Amino acid sequence: MFVNHYECFVRLNKLFSTICTHVKHNEEAIVSSQEVLRKKPLQILEKIRESLEKLNEKMEIMIELQKHGRRDIQTIPQEAPLDVMTLLSMPDHLRKTAMTVCRLGRATADEVAQQTRRARAVESAYLNQLVIMGYLKKERKGRKAYFYVDKESQG
Amino acid sequence: MAFHSYKGGTGKTLLSINLAVTLAKHGKKVCLLDLDFRAPSLATLLKVEKVEYWLNDYLNGVCEIDKVLIDLSDRIADQGKFFVGLANPSVEAIRDMSSKDRKWEMRALGRLLSLRNSLLNAKGFDYIVFDTSPGLQYSSINAIVSADIVIVATTLDNSDVEGTRRMLRELYDLFEKKTEIVLNKILYDDSLRSGREKLQALVKETYEVPLLGVIPCFCDISRAEGKIIFVHEKPDHPFTRILDEIAAKIDKI
Repeated sequence: MFVNHYECFVRLNKLFSTICTHVKHNEEAIVSSQEVLRKKPLQILEKIRESLEKLNEKMEIMIELQKHGRRDIQTIPQEAPLDVMTLLSMPDHLRKTAMTVCRLGRATADEVAQQTRRARAVESAYLNQLVIMGYLKKERKGRKAYFYVDKESQG
Repeated sequence: MAFHSYKGGTGKTLLSINLAVTLAKHGKKVCLLDLDFRAPSLATLLKVEKVEYWLNDYLNGVCEIDKVLIDLSDRIADQGKFFVGLANPSVEAIRDMSSKDRKWEMRALGRLLSLRNSLLNAKGFDYIVFDTSPGLQYSSINAIVSADIVIVATTLDNSDVEGTRRMLRELYDLFEKKTEIVLNKILYDDSLRSGREKLQALVKETYEVPLLGVIPCFCDISRAEGKIIFVHEKPDHPFTRILDEIAAKIDKI
């Protein structure tokens, strides 16, 4: 996990230096192509934002794992069916999140938080924990991360 | 809503049919689904002979729900609508349903949840009533998870009381379900006539959930041998009046 963090920071640093390079040394290119000037820094900033969000999620997972202990989680196989008996045996805080995703079918941490009336960051951590446990799948679309129960691949 | 109980024979099926019909008679659009795949009985009780597709087929992903639902509104001759989805009573189907694995059950939960949404939102149903198997069965818990209200049919039998109490703590509470109790087969003696409050207090103390209704042990119901829809054919019977009260309470919830 720490290695991943380190990698994230390295990637961020690279992105920042790319911006600097563009600003300091590409004046000619900026003058010759105003289109690029407008688009590229925006894209880079967008990438920074995405990386920061990913970093944030990883931090949340780490905090959760430390809170609830990671032994139980590591013994669970990567893909596990989220059936009602599994829901019953889950700790209360995760069951609430898992049931909300079951009901919504596919949801972001924001949407789950609206239903459970818990903080988005808390739900994000629980959702990511359920992904690690193999009960949920996660898919990114642009800046949004969607969580869902993968019924097809488990058929 | 899901009708459930700890033990068998507590009156889930009788109550679910009669409550569904009562709600339809009150002008609601109601869908009654037989999720008791271990001992299906709605096809027999409602005398539906020609069934092309069963709920089993919907949960197996063989067909859409439109092919399963049967419109029995003409049976009740009122303003409301009454549809049913039946469980296949053949031994082969029961065997097939009791040997499903966890992955299938997980997909069945997904299909049940989307069925609930499509019936209530797209198809404009006011109520879905699930009749379930007693105890901790996959299909019953799937129904409980999909329901907004769980109605527990229970008797005063000691083993039933203890089992129901455990289920309240270790099943319905864990899924944060609104639970209501219907006391069934209560002896129609002095204690019932004068002690309704006592029973209410007893339920509150034992189960810590509200009492939705008390149904005395009616010989007329046994005599009918499951051949009639009681609330429809006996509109003046006390049982029908109790079901009317329960339906009115549910409408308020």
